[in-house]
Amino acid sequence: MIQPFTSDPLRWVSEDGQPIRELPARFTPELLRELHRQMVRAREFDKKLVTLLRQGRTTFYAQASGMEATQVGLAHSLRVGHDWVWPYYRDHTLGLAMGISMLDIVSQCLGTNSDLCRGRQMPHHFGVLDKRFVSISSSIASQVPPAAGTAMAQKYLGTDEITVCTFGDGATSEGDWHAGLNMAGAAGAPCLFVCENNQWAISTHLREQTASETIHIKAKAYGMPGYYVDGNDIVAVMEVLGHVAERVRAGEGPALVECLTYRIGSHSNADADAEKHYRTREEVAEWEARDPITRVERLLEHLGAPLDPQELWDLVAATHREVDEAVLAAEASGQPGWDIMFEDVYADKPIHLRVQEDFLRAEQAAGGRA
Amino acid sequence: MTATQHQAQAGTAAGETRTLTLIQAITEAMREELARDERVVIFGEDVGARGGVFLATAGLQAEFGKERVFDTPLSEASIVGAAVGMAVRGLRPIAEIQFADYMGPGFDQIISQAAKIRYRSGGQFTAPLVIRTPSGGGVKGGHHHSQSPESYFTHTPGLKVVMPSTPYDAKGLLKAAVRGEDPVIYFEPKRLYRAAKGEVPAGDYTVELGKGAVRREGQDLTIIGYGGVMPDAERAAAALAAEGVQAEVIDLRSLVPWDRELVLQSVAKTGRAVLVSEAPRTSNFMGEVAYVIQEELFDRLLAPVVQVAGFDIPYPYVQDKIYLPGPNRIAAACVQALNY
Ligand SMILES: Cc1ncc(C[n+]2csc(CCOP(=O)(O)OP(=O)(O)O)c2C)c(N)n1
Ligand SMILES: [Mg+2]
Repeated sequence: MIQPFTSDPLRWVSEDGQPIRELPARFTPELLRELHRQMVRAREFDKKLVTLLRQGRTTFYAQASGMEATQVGLAHSLRVGHDWVWPYYRDHTLGLAMGISMLDIVSQCLGTNSDLCRGRQMPHHFGVLDKRFVSISSSIASQVPPAAGTAMAQKYLGTDEITVCTFGDGATSEGDWHAGLNMAGAAGAPCLFVCENNQWAISTHLREQTASETIHIKAKAYGMPGYYVDGNDIVAVMEVLGHVAERVRAGEGPALVECLTYRIGSHSNADADAEKHYRTREEVAEWEARDPITRVERLLEHLGAPLDPQELWDLVAATHREVDEAVLAAEASGQPGWDIMFEDVYADKPIHLRVQEDFLRAEQAAGGRA
Repeated sequence: MTATQHQAQAGTAAGETRTLTLIQAITEAMREELARDERVVIFGEDVGARGGVFLATAGLQAEFGKERVFDTPLSEASIVGAAVGMAVRGLRPIAEIQFADYMGPGFDQIISQAAKIRYRSGGQFTAPLVIRTPSGGGVKGGHHHSQSPESYFTHTPGLKVVMPSTPYDAKGLLKAAVRGEDPVIYFEPKRLYRAAKGEVPAGDYTVELGKGAVRREGQDLTIIGYGGVMPDAERAAAALAAEGVQAEVIDLRSLVPWDRELVLQSVAKTGRAVLVSEAPRTSNFMGEVAYVIQEELFDRLLAPVVQVAGFDIPYPYVQDKIYLPGPNRIAAACVQALNY
């Protein structure tokens, strides 16, 4: 039985890769290899985008390294393209695992013509309608009340969809977070709230963020179950999220799942050298030792199906090629022109925008720089 | 204070002035206010050990301790609301909102509490506090790191609103804001944080809220701006000077209250006004300045007042540079006023 409100995070596989509960039958070596492949692909994607940033080809990057089990596990616990997702800016690993193409994510990071969002936002704020993956907002916790609303609409329309809403630990301090959970609770809406608790909000540690011992217990106040999971154990993540998602889908109301994980990298490129400012190298090393990818490798070893190192190298090389190709394809599509900036403000283009567009057209025609 | 007095004051502190960047001047003002008055406390997201994401508070926690300089939970409503409550109880809080784009979650506390507590209590309760926040574009940050939301606040009676563009003003205005009796929204033009450098006295001084500064004297037209656009306004004036046109350049520095007298004197002299800001055009604060100019100086104007502003669209990411008014767009607006 999967119980809410446990004092320790639910776990299936120990840090050294030993099952500590009976491994559910679906976790065959084949499935574990596939999950491992997706986690490594996301980790390498992170590294490549950091390189791209250093080359000045993009302007911002927020790594999800260390959080792969949570995000890949979540992707495997929802019905992609059927359920709706209100994500946050550190969810590219979730996006990749949901099958959003590398080209779509890279294009958004580069703001090229191939960007589905038309170059409107800074990197890491993609949105893909056919995956029902709603465009990301930078504003922390601002996705939470709308997620409750999408779930209320699903209930109203009588669908069998659910809504998934993700956020960090820091987000749980915002008023909108509480307002959104309360709304979903009061409405009994099919909303699955997933906290990707990486323990830091830029330089603010969870212990400073809240005096509450954990985040999942806050669910109690909103009349929904709260689950606590080892977010670096992909088996645990999938077992719990799978169970909870179906419970939510069955009409039992919303739920909150707290996945305890860690942000191995800096908050973003604007936060270089976090270890100099606010956290210790020892702490990072401690969490590196609990790496979610290594844990799956050890589990595979334990199951007598170890990874062939050559296979791993091939996967890394293939991912690097995949990113390179996506970057080339994105760059080849060109940069959007100035004129599209007046589009999508409204469904139509009101007179004052047409006047401003004409002004800019004349300035551009005169060869003018702003 | 006029520009001339301004220079005189900077001059009297000769030997004690150093060249600082805008952000260094802000840090220095906070350090001095912390040292001067025990009621001053500084808080916000990541302002402690991290020193703020732009390092405006770097070193202050180490120097003054965690009681006086501290990180808060990630909640702008709590940050602003707590500042109001502390101010009511006699502290002098300086609250940081990490980006002006994130004032949203704190908006109600700003407009319902900070702005109105004096009025609604008949002056019994007051909230003298400062909200510091980086604003403006030009940093390729997309709409969540580039907006200029000052007009929401100039539209709310009870709030004072300032935006320095020089290190000297940054220090003096922040000190005046801390010592004033009203809530002040102190916008920091982030693209000038390190780009704007200038002489700053080492000692104590204030710049009075509500006073503009003449940055350049001229007879032919008046360019009026504030914040991040000021260096470009001065570049435009310099380009015009090369063509024989003498533009007067006024930095408002303070939007609420704003220096009507200085602006009207100048436009009465030149007959032409070009208003420059980067905030979206509709309901832009400069619309009020234009209104007062035409109301007071209708018969002295030689051309309609020209406004250069941001376009009425969310701040774009890719077209960051085209969006932002630069020296050429400002100079072209001046030519339009001159050729009317
Ligand atoms: C409303 C709002 N306030 C402040 C910020 C600036 N900011 C960006 S990320 C961040 C920390 C978020 O931490 P958390 O929710 O734990 O997510 P993580 O980055 O750790 O994944 C802050 C304060 C913001 N984006 N939105
Ligand atoms: Mg976090």
